Amino acid sequence: MASEALAVFAPTDGRRRVKANLLVIFAAIALILALIPLVAVFGYVFANGIRSMLSLDFLTQDPPSDLSAAGGGVRNALVGTLEMTGLATLIAVPIALGMAIFAVEVGGRLAQAARFLIDVLAGLPSIVVGIFIYTSVVVTEGHFSGLAGSLALAIVMLPVVTVSAEEILRLTPRPIAEGARALGLARWRAIMSVFVPIGLSGIITGVLLGVSRAIGETAPLIFTSLGNNFFTLDLNEPMQALPLLIYRNALNSAFAPARDRAFGAALLLILIVLGFNLAGRWLTARRRLAGSNR
Amino acid sequence: MTDSVHSPDNADAVERIGLRRRRWTGDLTFRGVLAALAVATTLILGFMMVGSFVTAAPVYEKFGIIGFLTGTKWEPSFTLYGAWPFIYGTVLTSLLALLIAVPISVLIALLLTDLAPARLRGPLGVAVDLLAAVPSVVYGLWGLLVLVPVIRPFEQAVAGTIGKVVPFLGPPTPGPSYFAAAVILAVMTVPIISAVTREVFASTPRLQREAVLALGGTRWDVARTVTLPIGRAGLLAAIVLGLGRAIGETIAVTMVVGNSDNIGTSIFAPGFTLASVIANEFNEATETLHPEALIALGTVLLVISVLVNAGAITIRNRFTGGLRSGF
Repeated sequence: MASEALAVFAPTDGRRRVKANLLVIFAAIALILALIPLVAVFGYVFANGIRSMLSLDFLTQDPPSDLSAAGGGVRNALVGTLEMTGLATLIAVPIALGMAIFAVEVGGRLAQAARFLIDVLAGLPSIVVGIFIYTSVVVTEGHFSGLAGSLALAIVMLPVVTVSAEEILRLTPRPIAEGARALGLARWRAIMSVFVPIGLSGIITGVLLGVSRAIGETAPLIFTSLGNNFFTLDLNEPMQALPLLIYRNALNSAFAPARDRAFGAALLLILIVLGFNLAGRWLTARRRLAGSNR
Repeated sequence: MTDSVHSPDNADAVERIGLRRRRWTGDLTFRGVLAALAVATTLILGFMMVGSFVTAAPVYEKFGIIGFLTGTKWEPSFTLYGAWPFIYGTVLTSLLALLIAVPISVLIALLLTDLAPARLRGPLGVAVDLLAAVPSVVYGLWGLLVLVPVIRPFEQAVAGTIGKVVPFLGPPTPGPSYFAAAVILAVMTVPIISAVTREVFASTPRLQREAVLALGGTRWDVARTVTLPIGRAGLLAAIVLGLGRAIGETIAVTMVVGNSDNIGTSIFAPGFTLASVIANEFNEATETLHPEALIALGTVLLVISVLVNAGAITIRNRFTGGLRSGF
């Protein structure tokens, strides 16, 4: 190793310095290449969407039945997105938390199998999840529904929340875990009233990231909630969502009103997703600061 | 974890306050509930997977598994279904995307672990991560209205010059194409690959990196002798993870890939991927066996992505196992 190192770092010559500088330059170019789309997407969507967003009608009215007609808003899609994602969160979070606790605190062969399932699920294309719900729920019920959409989004969220909750539970500081044991707490008491509360901000971060993932999903909704041009709160009916509305209007973007509607909805969706995403990041950053003296 | 409360010394005390009994039943119930939850979730998801194969069964029966996978004709009006054009499209777009995304991601990861000033690393990292937060339908919208018009002249220029000699770069060049899909996929996989790679690179031993610098090595030497060789397995896992994402990406691809059931011999030709043909044709699938054939494509996608992700998990486990024994 020593002789190799000597050979590698033989007396400084210009070529190596040039190579080092070239590396930095290439890396900087790569970063700029990656950030161009970010700036371009945000800038373009903002510039084209802000006009629709500025009118209150955009949030309080439903779109016209003819996509190419001007006017109207995206109320049905906004409400549908919030309702379906909300229900998906209510379904996914308890299951995810249970799976995470099972994997970390109980263990065993069954926990390993469940862990493997979560890994598989994490890598599954969301469109396949949509097909699952289509063949099991939609076909059985005989119609598309907001409920089916919620179930699909719940499955999309499940691995995101489970994996992050697991990571947090694994990080429970050892002195605290030992303290809980020393107090004579039963395992389940220790988990539920010590470990979970300690990791709560981390678990919430995972939930927020899961929500921000699910809320932007289009593919699984095509086969489950289908979309609906009218406003509905009924989970038994087909339900509109912001991504679906963007998709359908984008495909009709030859018509200026449809195009504008797509951009307005895209801006709204980006703001919602980024809101959840940044809130999650902020919580993580805060936890790191608080935990830095550990 | 050993159970210190149950040592013989305080066994009496434990018995007296009834701790042991309550604790035992409580823990048993807790475990039982969690196990039931895990079993139920596993069963439900397993049932759903089987359900999609059952729904697709008539298609596999009619054409045979091999016949369906290798069939090159997809003509719903003639009840003719072959998956090959879409498998081809998925493989072509994903590999092209990786070709673009991997070098960029590796350089970004190096930049954010070794090269950039420490103060810039955090904000730049967040900016790259934000690329992953943009919903895919928004990328699709942007790709359809901005990217495709921008790259069409480029496609035409390449097809008109180099494309006359090199087989995969010729016409047609309508704009929406495998290539456009690959560019969008590259944008979407860069944050995933670079995030994992960055973690891998950051976990390479700091002492070795500093030793190289102390020996008079440049930052290029650090990357060449420490970061890249040690991070190689993790980098591979990151790439496979990005591949999995690219294979399954649906809506953004649907909006820029050109939507053609034929096999395009040029990367600038319009086509379809497995995921995008399902999304695009599903709501209008009225011909005989058409919905079942699309679900059959879904099962192909399912098998491919499970295989790819199993690969990524295996590599990751070997990598972390190596870390544990190696350091």
